[in-house]
Amino acid sequence: MRRIREFGLLFAFACAPGVCAQAGQPSELDVLRGRVVYLDFWASWCEPCRRSFPWMQQLKRSYEAQGLTVIAVNLDRDRADAESFLRRFKPDFQIRFDPTGQWAEQFELRGMPTSIVIDRRGVVRFTHVGFRTDDGPAYTRQVEELLAEH
Amino acid sequence: MQLGPDPSSVRRRLIAASCALLSSSAARGEQGSVTDKIGRMVEDWKIQSALAYYREDGRIQAIEPVISAVRDLSDGGRLTLNFTFDSLSGSSPNGALPNHNPQTFASPSARSLAAARHLYTVAPGRLPVDPNYSDARVAGGVDWTLPLSRLTRLSVGGKFSYEDDFYSATANAGVEHDFNDKNTTVSLSVSSENDFLQPIGGAPTPRSDYALFEKGGHETKRGQGLLLGLTQVMTRNWLSEVNLSLDRFSGYLTDPYKLVSVIDGAGDPVGYVYENRPDSRTRRSVYLENRVGWTRASAGLALRYMTDTWGIHSDTAQLRLRWWNAGRDQYFEPSVRWYRQSAADFYRPWIAPNAAQETYLSADSRLAAFHALTYGLKYGIKLTDRLGGFGRGGTEFNVRLEYYQQTIQNGPAAPGALQGLDLYPSLKAVLLQIGFDY
Amino acid sequence: MRRKCILLCEVLVLCSLTVGCSSLGVKPWQRELLSRQDMQPDGNGLDDAIDDHMYFSKEASSGGRSFGGGGCGCN
Repeated sequence: MRRIREFGLLFAFACAPGVCAQAGQPSELDVLRGRVVYLDFWASWCEPCRRSFPWMQQLKRSYEAQGLTVIAVNLDRDRADAESFLRRFKPDFQIRFDPTGQWAEQFELRGMPTSIVIDRRGVVRFTHVGFRTDDGPAYTRQVEELLAEH
Repeated sequence: MQLGPDPSSVRRRLIAASCALLSSSAARGEQGSVTDKIGRMVEDWKIQSALAYYREDGRIQAIEPVISAVRDLSDGGRLTLNFTFDSLSGSSPNGALPNHNPQTFASPSARSLAAARHLYTVAPGRLPVDPNYSDARVAGGVDWTLPLSRLTRLSVGGKFSYEDDFYSATANAGVEHDFNDKNTTVSLSVSSENDFLQPIGGAPTPRSDYALFEKGGHETKRGQGLLLGLTQVMTRNWLSEVNLSLDRFSGYLTDPYKLVSVIDGAGDPVGYVYENRPDSRTRRSVYLENRVGWTRASAGLALRYMTDTWGIHSDTAQLRLRWWNAGRDQYFEPSVRWYRQSAADFYRPWIAPNAAQETYLSADSRLAAFHALTYGLKYGIKLTDRLGGFGRGGTEFNVRLEYYQQTIQNGPAAPGALQGLDLYPSLKAVLLQIGFDY
Repeated sequence: MRRKCILLCEVLVLCSLTVGCSSLGVKPWQRELLSRQDMQPDGNGLDDAIDDHMYFSKEASSGGRSFGGGGCGCN
């Protein structure tokens, strides 16, 4: 079962040295426990990734209070490219940086972007490869489903 | 919790606008002005436009505006529209050979050599060209890609071209499939073309005597094509591509305006005949392209080998290099292209009066053996960054200059008096293009 | 001779299609350079269309180029 491995990876990921957190964010462990996590892997050069940002922003704002955490992991090799993008869009969900692709490798990503939706017990429930705006509503419903679980 | 956007913040307005665009519900509620609405609509499309000016030394010149618009669709597909307008004028070679004496010809619209206003005279020693050549062409195309699955896409498209003596319509369809985490892509496409020709003055009876003005009506031709493509990501920096294509054309493939000089043993023209080409042509080609890229530079080499049933085979090699400045907002792109082709089996710069047994013949320099070189330089500057970072974003202004020179291989030694003349003058042309990408 | 060369090329391509190129390539998150416009198969924009029109009117060969593949590999 992917439960222990994935959740363990998440914790390790959150606590790993060298993985920067945005200043002012609450401690990783407290945030993840008992929450639904929408973990998205993106890069500034990936057009569908950029298109998914407004939708993820809306998702975060709509469901954060109900227990959703959105974490977007950037895979740009050159940090400056990611920051140039973030300066323009200033999303208010959490951003992590994985320039060497270590976590991408661990999560065995098959495409860009990839989103992994993890329920409150730490089990990976949905994996989406690619982003098309038509799929937004269906993904939102999946998140609502998981948020309804306790 | 306030979920609506704070209208005073530019960022929130941008996100709200994007959300409005992305939402599939029609209940937008946002009132935006007309300019806002147009701004959002244009924001969805990536538009490339260019204006090209082409000029041959002493021959044709052309102005050609082109525009192309691409929109990524919400299902992951893509829609592409393009439109071209061409205006040509100048002098076009009519296929006859130069001569020590002046030669008089009639323009295609003439019905006989008696109608003086349609005649033109070519000076001694000069390549015979019709100085009244003028043409306007409108062309456009649409292409729609829809995803059949995450790894497979179907494309359908069509294009048309319209000038006063030629209409063409083409339909194409293709399938693409990705393997190996999208490192390998295989594509197969087919196309079908139908052309309707209405030559000015009517289509002349092939191989008929020019002076008889035997002209008919309209003609048609068809083409079918098959293309098999393989694209392979080799490394992080290197992409490789190979395409195999097979095309078959049938119908009226002759140029209705081109002549062949009939030259006697002394080198004097005793007359002219209209050219005649076979009514079918099958062409096969292999195209190989490799592109390598780094942070501030990239290089591409494209090779093509072609062979067809008219006896023509050609080799093409094109190299492009691009360098960006440190800020990565400006680039230079020099390029060079080398081309060589062999003559068609039925290419005849002239014929002797008794060459009655030759069914197919053409003196069109496009079918001759020649080599050509193109030198080009392009400069581009990014004016604004649409989305920041890498990828297809931002507006760009660019300018490109190309110099093309075609050197025709000397044919057989001309008889008698023609020996002192340059029967195969080279063609030199310049292309200047300015472009704007949004 | 030339026809044989072209036939050989065709055979090689078909062979490589069947064998597959599974050892070559990059991970999906390593396509930053490949996603750049000048690194895409159709990345020369309108230049190719304008050049093709010029060469079509002056030479006997045309086409051969195609589309698909390469790029960011997204979606």
